[in-house]
Amino acid sequence: MRRLRLPGRAGLPRGEGPWPWLAAGSLALSLLMLAALLLLLAGRGLGHFWPAPVELVTLDDGRQLAGQPVREERRQTLQGSPLRERLYRTGNRDLDGEAWRWVEVTSIARRERPDDWAVIERQRWGELIVRPLALEEAGRRLAEAPLWAAFAARLERVLSLRAERDALRREVIAPLARRLAAGHDDAEARARLTEAQARVGELQAAMTRDALVVESAAGERLTVPLESMLAAWRPNAMSPPEKLAAWGANLWHFLSEGPRAANTAGGVWPAIFGTVLMVLLMSALVTPFGVLAAVYLHEVAPQGRLTGWVRIAVRNLAGVPSIVYGVFGLGVFVYGIGGRLDDWLFADSLPSPTFGTGGLLWASLTLALLTLPVVIVATEEGLARIPAQQREAALALGATRAEMLRRVILPMALPAMLTGVILAIARAAGEVAPLMLVGVAKLAPQVPVDGDFPYLHLERKFMHLGYHVFDVGFHSGDVEAALPLVYATALLLVGVILVLNLTAILLRHHLRARHAALRSR
Amino acid sequence: MIDYSSPAVRLRQRWRQVRDRLATLLISACGIGVIVAVLAIGVFLVVAAWPLFSSPRVASEPATPGVEVAYPLEAPLPAGLEAWRRDQHLDALPYALSHAQPQALGGRLWLAEGHRLTILALDGEAPRRLARLPVVEPERRITALAALAGGRSLVVADDAGGLRRWTVEAAPPWLRLATEYRDRGPVIQALWTLPESRLFLARDAAGLSLFESLAGQRWRGEAPGGEALGFDAEGGLLWRDAGVVQRLAIDAPHAEISWRTLWLPQPYEGHAAPQQRWQSAGEGSLDEPKYGLAPLAWGTLKAAAYALLLAVPLALGAAFFSACYLPRRLRERIKPTLELMEALPGVVIGFVAGLVLAPFVERHLAGGLALIVLLPLVMLLAGGLWTRLPAAWRRCLPLGWAGLWLMPWLALWIALALWASPWLEAALFDGDLRGWLEASLGLGYDQRNALIVGLAMGFAVIPSIFALAEDALSGVPASLGEGAQALGATRWQTLWKVLLPAAGPGVFSAVMIGAGRAVGETMIVLMATGNTALMSVSPLEGMRSFAANLAIELPEAVPGGTHYRVLLFSALLLFLFTFAVNTLAELVRRRLKRRYRQLGAGR
Repeated sequence: MRRLRLPGRAGLPRGEGPWPWLAAGSLALSLLMLAALLLLLAGRGLGHFWPAPVELVTLDDGRQLAGQPVREERRQTLQGSPLRERLYRTGNRDLDGEAWRWVEVTSIARRERPDDWAVIERQRWGELIVRPLALEEAGRRLAEAPLWAAFAARLERVLSLRAERDALRREVIAPLARRLAAGHDDAEARARLTEAQARVGELQAAMTRDALVVESAAGERLTVPLESMLAAWRPNAMSPPEKLAAWGANLWHFLSEGPRAANTAGGVWPAIFGTVLMVLLMSALVTPFGVLAAVYLHEVAPQGRLTGWVRIAVRNLAGVPSIVYGVFGLGVFVYGIGGRLDDWLFADSLPSPTFGTGGLLWASLTLALLTLPVVIVATEEGLARIPAQQREAALALGATRAEMLRRVILPMALPAMLTGVILAIARAAGEVAPLMLVGVAKLAPQVPVDGDFPYLHLERKFMHLGYHVFDVGFHSGDVEAALPLVYATALLLVGVILVLNLTAILLRHHLRARHAALRSR
Repeated sequence: MIDYSSPAVRLRQRWRQVRDRLATLLISACGIGVIVAVLAIGVFLVVAAWPLFSSPRVASEPATPGVEVAYPLEAPLPAGLEAWRRDQHLDALPYALSHAQPQALGGRLWLAEGHRLTILALDGEAPRRLARLPVVEPERRITALAALAGGRSLVVADDAGGLRRWTVEAAPPWLRLATEYRDRGPVIQALWTLPESRLFLARDAAGLSLFESLAGQRWRGEAPGGEALGFDAEGGLLWRDAGVVQRLAIDAPHAEISWRTLWLPQPYEGHAAPQQRWQSAGEGSLDEPKYGLAPLAWGTLKAAAYALLLAVPLALGAAFFSACYLPRRLRERIKPTLELMEALPGVVIGFVAGLVLAPFVERHLAGGLALIVLLPLVMLLAGGLWTRLPAAWRRCLPLGWAGLWLMPWLALWIALALWASPWLEAALFDGDLRGWLEASLGLGYDQRNALIVGLAMGFAVIPSIFALAEDALSGVPASLGEGAQALGATRWQTLWKVLLPAAGPGVFSAVMIGAGRAVGETMIVLMATGNTALMSVSPLEGMRSFAANLAIELPEAVPGGTHYRVLLFSALLLFLFTFAVNTLAELVRRRLKRRYRQLGAGR
């Protein structure tokens, strides 16, 4: 259609009144909210890994504190006068009893960023924000200059010792102990076990050799054994490339490590693993059945009124709240089938349930049921787009229906099926409510896959990124400390889901273009 | 017809036929199986919730030989108390006793004298008289009384056949009338409370009735002849009739549930007036469980209503704009973007709402509330300014792209409003908006309230409403809109007078699907409200929805118990509601599609 152009006001709309502006504003506001949410998640989630500078703050009354500024808030005192406060992450929970400190901005006399302040991450008690003074070796003060380089080298040594110890425990001691416990008693294994245990003892002793003498902002001195440290850095002395490297390393630790300190520190590797495994199992279940059901509905079933009603019902099940699927999973899979399985197969371990409680298998099954309508609807749409001539041509050439479906229709509908499966995965990855009923755990350090027969433990509980967000955000003691991790986890989850959805959208776009070309031929 | 095929070919043909049939069979079996499995959800929920509404079964059967009375019919008095009663010459009077189970009350002994009740506290050596109260009309006499499990309810029967339940208070007035089961009827001779339950049997001359403390009479039948002995360990009533011991098996596991107790205010123990309450008791606790679904239904609808209040105008506005004004190229970008918005997991939105937005809004309440009024005005202001811009500028900022270039404009105003929030509050509400709301409107403030839920869940349902409404509007045959525009209508007039009447049902079904989604959303409500089962309209207070309640309580509920079944019943309600809404929306959509096809065919 060619638009008529009026001479004086070329291309401009006529007076439309105020309403279009409200409509445009609605669209702008929706987009703005989406952008704000994504920016918030990206900023806070990724910013957490950036080594924040340490500020040494001197207050009006002469007291000092060292911490990383987190944010500022305007509040009101009880008298109603406005007040600007800044939150500092001061660490040192074992010294001060509190890892956070609100400071009134007007009461700050001086702020400095001295180079020699360090942030030390420990295995327990969280972070330490201190000034290193000296190194000690077996209780003897060393006079090594420059202090930080020497300290870094010694910390490196401790870390490699710890890595060796953990590897030894995991790869030698644990399997041997399991073999001995299982009754395979042989002298060689016993000897190897003793040897390995002796080596672990040596490593342990070697790790406790060095210590660092530090001073906190309040002037307290303490000696921190290097053995208790995980990492240390001096944010103020780092150059931007170094910071970038540290940011990458932190991000990697977040992705590859397990949680520490009641989920408020460390990484989310078990949650990533659990989510991916559950989603894979679910797609293995949902793909064949969903596709078969769609093929049945569209190609095999008589297209009568009943099929129409079934089609509407299936479509509507996609709109049934996910928690209802969770209820079904709990009632039928966990208590019904799981309880029965326990009675038959695992009677010796009752009353502690094996399959009669939530687990990986039941979670995958529940989510497969939840996403079945998605796959059925998408596949059916794909099938409906294939022109009838294709089927007729195949049948006219003498193909049976099975051959027609397998050789002609299914290959053509493949992208549609893929779209359905991807959408199903995206939906399943984000669903948390049903999982709370059928098998997610707040902390499951044992991933459901390991070296023990049968390798894949379907009855185990697992961790999930979405539930991790809920649990850490709402059930952890120190929400302030957990918040950055929750942001990062949420960002990860959203990132995964957005990428999956984008893939589905692109695939569908490609598909539509292809079928449009087919039809016009 | 002569078949020229060689035997090998014929065999191959046969094999192909067999394979075809097998494949069809397999596909049919799997397809039907899958569909049945998916539809089984509704069936399962109905089957699981059904026992709640089945009537109690009471049957007489021969007792197993050697069965013993585990609970006597009347709680025996401790020896000291028995002696005291004899001394006071009170041993002919009906009595009821509760031990010191409820900590707040202490042990109590009630004695019936005529139409009065003497209340005695059992906290010292000798019983201490607390009060003497008339509990039936002066011309009547009390014939039987019994204390229910937990000792906070007292059932009183009189000689006119009246039967009433009183709740026990720790201080005057000591007793409060809760339920009048009946005013007249056969005179009740004895009341027997079932062990560890809130059921009791009333025996009169004509027969035996089973009552539940809240639900009232649940069963009535003939009393076996002979003499009642007591309850056995399973709660069956033992009788001796002509030397033979009989057992009256009472099977009423869910007697407290009826339509009335689920939905209407109930006179719960410890409350002066009937209450709508949801408060499940722990397993084995003697507290009265309160299974009122009304607060949960209220919370569900309230959350959904506030969500729709935000989502419907925004989503429909966006859909109108997208259908009428957006250039095609931009529309192809915007639609998938909003589809991505739909994919955002509820747990992330809930987390941002509960942990970031809620504290933020609490600090900037004045600015936030001002934005509700300010934003539409600012949008109109933008329109007003735009028409006054020079034509060259207007060409740079075309109306079709307004959805994008209004974003920074709105962001500016939002930032401005939030920045000015403290001043606004100081100027208008003496610096304390929440105090002002409390004092002048009586609105309490929860940090996680309906406003936050509305905002978060509204955000979550905007994309679904938008997508469906946009589909309905852009599906209207182009000839209609073009015709209207050719006759000189503006685009907004075209939309309002031509497109909307044609696509109205589709837009309506979009809103319904949004409502269905808002009703069932779990994580956002769970995380963005305090999850207290309140019944208030206030946007500044929290609520608890069915879905959130399921997520919280179902893992702890004992399978097969009343609590579990009531929760499953609430899931069934959720299922039926969303299923009905979606079906309706889907039917509307189908009819609309047919209509478009007809309209389009007329071109």
